[in-house]
Amino acid sequence: MRLALAIGTFFILVIHGVVFYNQFGHQWERNQHTYFDQARVFAKTDAERAALNGRKPRIEQIVVSNFGETRVDRCTTCHIATDDPRFGSYAEPVKTHPYSPALGDQQKNGKWERRHKFSEFGCTVCHDGQGRGLEPEYSHGKDEYWPDPLLGYATQENWRKDFAPKLKGKEYMQANCAQCHTDTAFPGTALVTKGRGLFFSSNCYGCHRIEGLSDGTIGPDLSDVGKKWKLDYLWGRIADPKSILATSIMPKFNLKEEDIKALVIFLKSRKGRNFAETEIQRFKVKLTGGAELVQATIKPVQINPAEMLKQGEKLVLDRACTACHKLGDRDGGIAPDLSYEGLEKDGPWIYEHFKNPKSTMPDSIMPAFRFTDDEFKAMTAYLLTLKGSPAPAQGDAIYKALCLRCHGEKGDGQGPIAEHLDPFPRDLTKSGFMNSKPEARLVASIRNGVAGTSMPAWGKVLSEEQAKAVLGHIQTTFTKEPRRELKAREIPAKNPVAMSQESVSRGETLFVNRCAGCHGKKADGKGPNSLDILPKPRNLRNTFFVNSVDDRRLLESILYGVQGTAMPSWINDGLTNNDAGDLVNFIRSINSKPKGGQNAGAVQ
Amino acid sequence: MSRPTAPKTSFLATLMDIPRNVWSSIFRNPLPSNDLERSATSFTNFFLHIHPVKVHKNSLRPAYTFGLGLISFFLFVILIVSGILLMFYYVPSTTQAYDRMLDLRGSVAFGTLLRNMHRWAAHGMVAVVFLHLCRVFLTGSYKKPREFNWVVGVILFLLTLFMSFTGYLLPWDQLAFWAITVGTAIAGYAPVIGKDIQFLLMGGTSVGQEALLRFYVLHVAVLPAILTLMIAIHFWRIRKDGGLSRPEDADPKVTLEPMETSSAPKASVLEPKKVYGFQGLVRGPLTKVGQIPDNTVFSWPNLFLAELFTFVVTLSAILILSLLFNAPLEEPVNALHPPNPAKAPWYFLGLQEMVSYSAFWGGIGVPGIFVLLLLGTPYLDRGPKGVGKWFSRDRLLANTIFITFVVANIIFVIIGTFFRGANWAFVTPW
Repeated sequence: MRLALAIGTFFILVIHGVVFYNQFGHQWERNQHTYFDQARVFAKTDAERAALNGRKPRIEQIVVSNFGETRVDRCTTCHIATDDPRFGSYAEPVKTHPYSPALGDQQKNGKWERRHKFSEFGCTVCHDGQGRGLEPEYSHGKDEYWPDPLLGYATQENWRKDFAPKLKGKEYMQANCAQCHTDTAFPGTALVTKGRGLFFSSNCYGCHRIEGLSDGTIGPDLSDVGKKWKLDYLWGRIADPKSILATSIMPKFNLKEEDIKALVIFLKSRKGRNFAETEIQRFKVKLTGGAELVQATIKPVQINPAEMLKQGEKLVLDRACTACHKLGDRDGGIAPDLSYEGLEKDGPWIYEHFKNPKSTMPDSIMPAFRFTDDEFKAMTAYLLTLKGSPAPAQGDAIYKALCLRCHGEKGDGQGPIAEHLDPFPRDLTKSGFMNSKPEARLVASIRNGVAGTSMPAWGKVLSEEQAKAVLGHIQTTFTKEPRRELKAREIPAKNPVAMSQESVSRGETLFVNRCAGCHGKKADGKGPNSLDILPKPRNLRNTFFVNSVDDRRLLESILYGVQGTAMPSWINDGLTNNDAGDLVNFIRSINSKPKGGQNAGAVQ
Repeated sequence: MSRPTAPKTSFLATLMDIPRNVWSSIFRNPLPSNDLERSATSFTNFFLHIHPVKVHKNSLRPAYTFGLGLISFFLFVILIVSGILLMFYYVPSTTQAYDRMLDLRGSVAFGTLLRNMHRWAAHGMVAVVFLHLCRVFLTGSYKKPREFNWVVGVILFLLTLFMSFTGYLLPWDQLAFWAITVGTAIAGYAPVIGKDIQFLLMGGTSVGQEALLRFYVLHVAVLPAILTLMIAIHFWRIRKDGGLSRPEDADPKVTLEPMETSSAPKASVLEPKKVYGFQGLVRGPLTKVGQIPDNTVFSWPNLFLAELFTFVVTLSAILILSLLFNAPLEEPVNALHPPNPAKAPWYFLGLQEMVSYSAFWGGIGVPGIFVLLLLGTPYLDRGPKGVGKWFSRDRLLANTIFITFVVANIIFVIIGTFFRGANWAFVTPW
């Protein structure tokens, strides 16, 4: 016991020794001694030497209060020679900070004068890093938790090894220059300006919001992305979005390395409000939406009627359409194949879709991009020339070529791009649905498409026989159950109730009582039960779809349900033909307002 | 009359004697060499008099207590000392707190060591207090007459958790901010008053300046005061409840004669017919004085050396930990950028894990039942058997229930700590 005690006590003593040693042997003191010794050699007068002899190592610090929150920069404790021009050729840390006209420094009477005086700017305003730190590891921000390591000079150990070397270089500091130098023509922030240009030309703005620049809503808001993330993360998210977040739906853009670098620098400079902005400036930008800034960035292509097709093609290919869509061998893997676009859609539809994607497809996630009308027209013209290659004759080959992208390899509606489509592609393995519909209707869906959804009209690509062949393939491979004789149903061919205000309000009451649980109070298919249901309840505000089906079909769906889905048969539940008629009138009434179409005249 | 002359040699002797006199005025006894002096040493010293003069051999068995209660106390002492020193540098302000942390790490003498010691001792205290609770339960030591001390102990455990929780916010880094956001959100799941408790804790609807100030005051003033008081009661009760628990057969059976109770007690039981020790009087109808074989040893040196040893080991362990591992300090608070996943402090991760299954049952229901069961244990389990033995057969049911709860919680903590990744999805740590 006593021996153990003695050993334990000795142990504590040893630990204290170690702690004291660590406490009093500072690297920065040694650095300052190095500086003093060398300065004594340089000294020309005795007074200077005496002054140096009187100096003892101490913590130097600059309190910077002009740039955001007050900073305490102790960098000059080690980098003590930063402002001493005699140490230009020495090694860090005891080295003169370079003078350069690019930094605004001027030479007067053979003496350099700094534009950015350290006593005013400190160090971290430009360089980042942790100003208060006194150990290189911490103060350079190499510690994994420091949000802003020395910009362009230090990388952190947990950063991806393949990116880290690319994240070094003085040019990254432009992100900090841009905190004050917001002028886009400023030569010192060329890469920030380039990145801003890429942000628009690569259509990043379609999905992402940056306060005062863009207002996309699909992706995360990037207004203060530079404050949230380190370079490593920004680079990774752009270069390979899925590598960082497997569920990311951001496409992998076809960017060159220097383009990624410019984008990273631009994003790093987005820190909410920068030093140059005042509250009132920011508020003004909010009011005007920053239109001037945007116009200064995107230069519209002057469309020349003779070269319209070529210019359209160039726009489609250059402006990252294929980051989502498939076109030839370029495939973004998010949005539908454009290869047959000219056969599936007509000019006004495509043009409308460009102007406002939701106007032709109410639940589309495609952002509205800011092209000029002429550019849109050129792109429309180009897309109309896309006819694809002739479809094969065999059912399975057709399915592979045209259907698989949405309906999936197993026909279950889980194709590679299915999750981005709304309504969801039909699950073709549900025999309840497939076998309750007459073959004619299924063929019609293939050849005429389904309005208001992503199902295109294949009529100009597939002949009646080809459509039947692919349907046969679907029946045998996915649905499996053979078709049966359909029971005749008693459905009025026309709505038995005339359209009237009373009928609509009766229908609305019925709808709220019986349908809103799944279809939602707004009839947008987003009722509380909709989350657990697949296929999702129909969005009954999808005017294109609702207007494309006749009363008889609506009545059938209401009265007899839709087999293979969650829609029940209401005829067994006390709903009369007249009730169903009221419901149909209600559904028609909420879709009666003309939607879109105001731009249709623009396209010949 | 010749005045007594004070010869110089005598004055010098006085001077020479000063150290010895000062010493003996402080410590009244010389190092003890016989039993009388040993007992005197114990009860004449302020710091030692809380101990009994003689201590039962069973209490000194290392494998019986593992010194867990003492370690908890010593960790508390370390925490107070290091905490007070840290208070000299800390400012509970959202704009300054993090900078102060950086100063502690970079430019304050011994700042890193102090912070590390405080952090590791705090984590250690939570763990050791819990182990101490397990020890007391598994040895059945909460039974009569120690019921109330068990309740005090459970309260001390909860206070320790709360103490650690309030301290968690003070560095004002991402770890702190989001752990407290999650922790207070768990409190918000309590029925009826949950939201109010959450609001009261945070002084607002989100963790901000008010929350920081509240947590600071709780951490450095309110809770330590309550904790100190409760510890004092805890210690006092140990003495009053007859020292540490021990098995019945630790002392050979003796037959005891009941006191004569036929005649009504006189105004004073202290009539000079019989002479009792005070202990014999307060304990009831049986007097044990002089009849129990002496199974005790003197506290000096047996108990005190053991305590000193425990202290040295505890301090060494904390110092070594503090030298080897730095207390984490993450990014400064960024309320716009929650880490994914945002995790509560590790000792609440079991709760958070359960909350991920059911907000009310995981956060309030199950832990509430557990705490109520703990508090009620001595009043529910009235069987007198199985005291003072680890995993006694007589207490199979109680021990099984307890171990089930504990193991379940430990498993949840482990899952929450190592197996939960982004969006609280199950991940493997390798």
